[in-house]
Order: sequence, then structure tokens, then C-alpha cells
Amino acid sequence: MRVLAAILWKDLITEWRSRDRVVAMLVFSLLVVIVYHFALPEGTGPDIAVHTPGLLWVVFVFAALIGLNRAFAMELENDALAGLALIPADRGWVFAGKAVANALLLFLVQGLAAAAFGLVFDIDLAASALPLAGVFALGTLGIAPVGTLLSAMAVRTRFREVLLPILLLPALFPVLAGAVEGTAEVLRDGGPSFASVQLLLVVDGIYWIICFIGFDYVLDE
Amino acid sequence: MNGLGPIASRLRTVSGALLGILLVTYVYTVANAPIDSVQGVIQKILYVHPPLAYGAYLGFVVTAVCGGLYLWRADEKWDRLAIAGAEVGVIFCTLMIVTGPIWAKGTWGKWWSWDPRLTVTLLLWFVYLAYLLLRSFSEGGARTARFAAVYGLVGIALIPLNYFVIEIFGGRGMHPENLERGSLGEGMGLPFLMGNLTLFVAFWWFVLARWELENLRALGLAKRADPMARAREEIA
Amino acid sequence: MSPAAATRLVARSLVKRFGPVTALDGVDVDIEGGHALAVLGPNGAGKSTLLRILAGLAQATSGELTVTRAGAAAPGRGRRAARAGVGFAGHATLLYPELSARENLIFHGRLHGIADPQGRADALLADEGLATVADRRAGTFSRGMSQRLSISRALVHDPGVVLLDEPFSGLDRRAGDRLSLRLRALRDEGRLVVLVSHDLARASEIADRAIVLLAGRVAHTASAGELGRDALEDAYARALDASLPPVPGDAGGTTAGPSA
Repeated sequence: MRVLAAILWKDLITEWRSRDRVVAMLVFSLLVVIVYHFALPEGTGPDIAVHTPGLLWVVFVFAALIGLNRAFAMELENDALAGLALIPADRGWVFAGKAVANALLLFLVQGLAAAAFGLVFDIDLAASALPLAGVFALGTLGIAPVGTLLSAMAVRTRFREVLLPILLLPALFPVLAGAVEGTAEVLRDGGPSFASVQLLLVVDGIYWIICFIGFDYVLDE
Repeated sequence: MNGLGPIASRLRTVSGALLGILLVTYVYTVANAPIDSVQGVIQKILYVHPPLAYGAYLGFVVTAVCGGLYLWRADEKWDRLAIAGAEVGVIFCTLMIVTGPIWAKGTWGKWWSWDPRLTVTLLLWFVYLAYLLLRSFSEGGARTARFAAVYGLVGIALIPLNYFVIEIFGGRGMHPENLERGSLGEGMGLPFLMGNLTLFVAFWWFVLARWELENLRALGLAKRADPMARAREEIA
Repeated sequence: MSPAAATRLVARSLVKRFGPVTALDGVDVDIEGGHALAVLGPNGAGKSTLLRILAGLAQATSGELTVTRAGAAAPGRGRRAARAGVGFAGHATLLYPELSARENLIFHGRLHGIADPQGRADALLADEGLATVADRRAGTFSRGMSQRLSISRALVHDPGVVLLDEPFSGLDRRAGDRLSLRLRALRDEGRLVVLVSHDLARASEIADRAIVLLAGRVAHTASAGELGRDALEDAYARALDASLPPVPGDAGGTTAGPSA
């Protein structure tokens, strides 16, 4: 746990100083929302509510990809990754620290992007802010572990930026299915159903376990 | 070389001979099978499509299991078998995804439907395409093998997870149930059985051949491409 | 400092293959605390690979690595045990440019779970003469300062084994002298130092034994007292020659290379 805390502290403090990932994720999310505005025909008015969950999660996935592509950049710069690999504890905790940091960044961007989406399409998302935040958090906790694991692989291949989405997107299906359904339920009924929460919890749990174990092998040389 | 090499080679020879015999019988029985009164001749895809599906899933299981064995034992032969499983699995899966819509167009009236089983299989196909891309974009050696093994295990975990999604969100599919309740018409049982048997043997023949090839390639590369070998010879 | 007399590092027939390339081909290392080993050799001889295996960063394809820690009841087998008592300063600095010097050390202190990361960081910075720049970001440091901070980072958990990869590269003469003094002090404190270098002069200032690697094999071993003798220099020179491809038209080369 102390390793997790140390990595989380380091990732957040470096991000706070440079702010490059959060800014890039945010700008990109806003651009996608603007593109939606022009891509979707006029007068989507009542229809837009139906499509909101899916459209939102597309934004979130794009934002996550942007952020994850840079998640290990600073670890490669001075071979700092070797410093992390040298710890005498289970290297899974290195993974956990990076994944929690990624989840927090993504969660922050989600809130802002959703607010922007609400403004652009004139949908009152604030009314159900709390249950929405819950579903966003559960979805993010599913994206972060696989995203972090696969990002650690992708940065050490050729075509890293291209490879990450190809690796990540098929693996995100269970998460996105649950998260989109849960978001739709919140907007329709005021809260997510037991089924979608259960699905997200199961998927999140399994992903955290697999990625925690798998990361040790990814970090080896 | 490891002791499995000659055994694999012999197994491949045996299965190759068996495959030859099976193939002839298979084609003969399928040709003689009755034409379905409702679906017409297109129904004969039944003798190809489900066996392909078994092969596809089997290939992905081979990949994941061998990947796991590789991570555990760090023996390259498991990694090479994992490659074979993934490549043959992708080919079987591709053929399945091609034959399915041909039948579906004739029977359902449309090429594709977002039926749960189709969706899951398509996703799995993407996972293993990504697996092969990951291999070809990495620099090779132990790191590639480890990355691939980890990804293969993520991929195999996706199968139950995806089915779990479908179970939770319902979505009764239109894909026919697996054939367990004797739903085959008169005279269709034998060609169906032959199809399964033939493609099962074919699957293993391809996997073994691919494995042998990969083993030989590793051997050849080791001899040829080691720039250190010359320097070593010099000081020896 | 730690009672390091019992620190010992033993590697037996290490082999490392990268795909078809054999980087290490049966290398043995056996060294105890209070001694320093120089690993010499031309580029691509496998020096860094050897060091990364000793550090527990990379896994040998085959072979055995045992690190006995001072005061430990039994020799630690396995890589996690090896990592606990080993400090590694790589060719790169392993530092985060966005963090200050002190923060870099505190971060690594926490990773290693030491008792008082802040106090340890301050003590190390004082040792290296970096106390005045402790709050400057590591990214603004000169090569010499980075190198000193990098070595402090490797020492943060007070390891009995210190592994250094080309510590002298990019340093000017004064910075090099200073580093050399520091490394000798580490050895005299009873630590076990392994130093990868292609600079024979610098290496022999610190090391009391040396191996020359060539193409992944130990081409020459110089035990204590032999350092600085002609035999080692000859062996090193021969290794350097052998690693070069034959120069076209250079018939009189020292290498009896196979004619293509």
C-alpha cells in the first residue's frame, strides 16, 4: 500500500506541475463534444436524451486513450521505470498506484466533459449528478486497470499511439456495456439498476486482479 | 532441441494422413446429405460453420493456456505454440465469420444481426487480431512473448465476461441453439459428425505444422542472426 | 553503516538471450562486501545486460543468482530478495525531472519503505553536497549533479550491493574525480560495488578486481592486485579489437578475423 500511495503522490504532483495530460484530455473532450454538435443534425432535441449515454462514453473513451498514451511517457524519459521495477515489494502495487492516478484524472475530466456536453445540448445533467458520478466512477474503475496495463505494454512497442486503442477497445466492451446502460438508467429512472451496478463491480474486480498480477511480467526486461 | 519436437512432428504426420482420409469421407457425406426442405442447399453451411467455431475457440484457449505456461516456466516452446494457436484460431474465426452471414442472408434475410453470440465472437476476433498486431509491433524476444501472453490471458477472460454482459442485459439471440437435442434432420447427423471430426483434426494439423515451423525458424535464426557468434568464435 | 562483511553476490553461468541474439553466454560472478568489481568490455559485450540481471531488473534465460544480505539469516534466492539489498544506478539517471532533488529521494525512500524518507533524503543530499539545491527540480541539474543525485537515489535504502552502469560517462574531469572518491568510500564502508565501464583508468581507481566481457563471455579475469597490470590492459585491448568488424583494406589489423 505504501508503494501505491508513493506512486499516486508522485503521479499527481507531477501532473499538477505540468498539467499537460489533464489539459490535453480536456481540450480533446471538448472538441469531440463540439464535433457532435456539428455532426448531429439540427433539432435532435428530444432524441438527444436517448443517445446521451453512448455519446458521453465515446468522449470518455477518447479522453482515456489520450491520457493513457502519456501515462508511461515520464517513466521512460530517464529510465525511471527501472527505478519502479527495482522495488523490493510486489510490482503489482506500482500498477495499482498508476491505475488509481489514471482513474482520478479520467474521473476529473469526465465531470468537466459531461458538464460541457450538458451545456452544448441543453440537457440537465446536474439534476442527477450524484448517481451519474457513481456510474462514471464505476466505469472509470474498469477502464483504468486494463488501460494502465496495456499502456505499459504499448509504450514499449513501435506505433505505440496506434496500438493502444487497438488493444484496449475490444477489452472495454463489458465495461462500456455496463456503463452506458447504467448511465441510461440514471437519466431515465434517476438511478442505475442493480444489474448494471453488479456487472460493473464484477468486471472491475476481475480486471483489477488480472492486471495486478500481469503487470509484474510486463515490467520485466 | 526439446523432446517435444520429434513427437510433434510425428503427430503431425499421423494427423495429416488421418486428415486426408477424413477429408474425402467428409466431402462425400456432405454431397450426399439431403437438401433441407425449408432452407435449401444453403443449410449445408451447417456442416462447416459450427466446427469452425469450435476450432476458433479452441485456438484461443490454446493461446491463453500456452501463454500462461510461458509466463510460469519461461520456456519459449510454449510461446511458439501460443503463436500457432492464435494464428490458426484467427483463420478459423475469420472463416466462421464469413460463412455465418452467407447462411444468415439466406435464412434470416440479412447478413448480420447483433445477436449476442455474433457480438461476442466478433469481439473475440478483434482481441486476437490485436494480439497478432501486438506481436508484430513489438521488438521480439522474451518481452514480446510476455506481453502477448498477458494479453492472451486478458482476452480469454473476456469470453465469460462478455457472456455475463449478455446474460445480464438479456437479448435473446436469433442464433440457433447448439445442437444437442437431436435437432438434426434425417441423414444430417453423419455429415455433421464428419465435419466436426475433420475440422478438429485439421485444426491440430495446422497448429502442429505452424508450431514446427516456428520452432525451425527460431533454430535457424539462432544460427544465422547472432552477431556475437563471430566474435565468440574468434576468442575461442 | 551495515555490517557488510557477510554481503555476497554469486552468479553462476548466467545466460541471457534476446530472441536469436545471445547477449550473455555463461557468465560467473562471485564477489563479497568491501570489494569492487569492474566489468569491462566493448560496446555490446553484455555489460549492461549483466548488471541489469544482477539488479533483478531483467531475468536471466538460465543460470543462478544469489544475493546474501549482511545480517540476513539465509542467502536470499529469487529476484525480490535480490532487489531488496541492491542499489542500482543506471546509464540513465532514473530521476523524474518534474520533481525536486529532495522529492526524488523521498519518493524512492517511500518505495523502499524506509523509516524516515525525509531525514534520509536530507542526509544523502548533504553527503553529496547537494543540500543547497535540494528544492530545485532535477530536470534543471547539470550532468554531474544529476549523476550525484542518481547515486544518492541508488543508496536511499542503504543497500549492501551497489551496481553502477557507466557512472563516469559525460562527466568532466573534476566531477569524475569526485565521483571516484565517493565510490571508493562506498567500497571502504564495506559495500559490494559492481561497476560497468569502458574506461579502464577510472575503473582501476575503484575496483580491486575486474572481468573483461566479450560477446557475452568472460574473456579475462583479473583478481586483486592484478589491476593496472599489463595483462589486463592487453586483454581489454584484445577484446576491443575482436569486437570490431574487420576494416576493409586493413590487412595489418591486430585481429585475425575470418576473411569474408
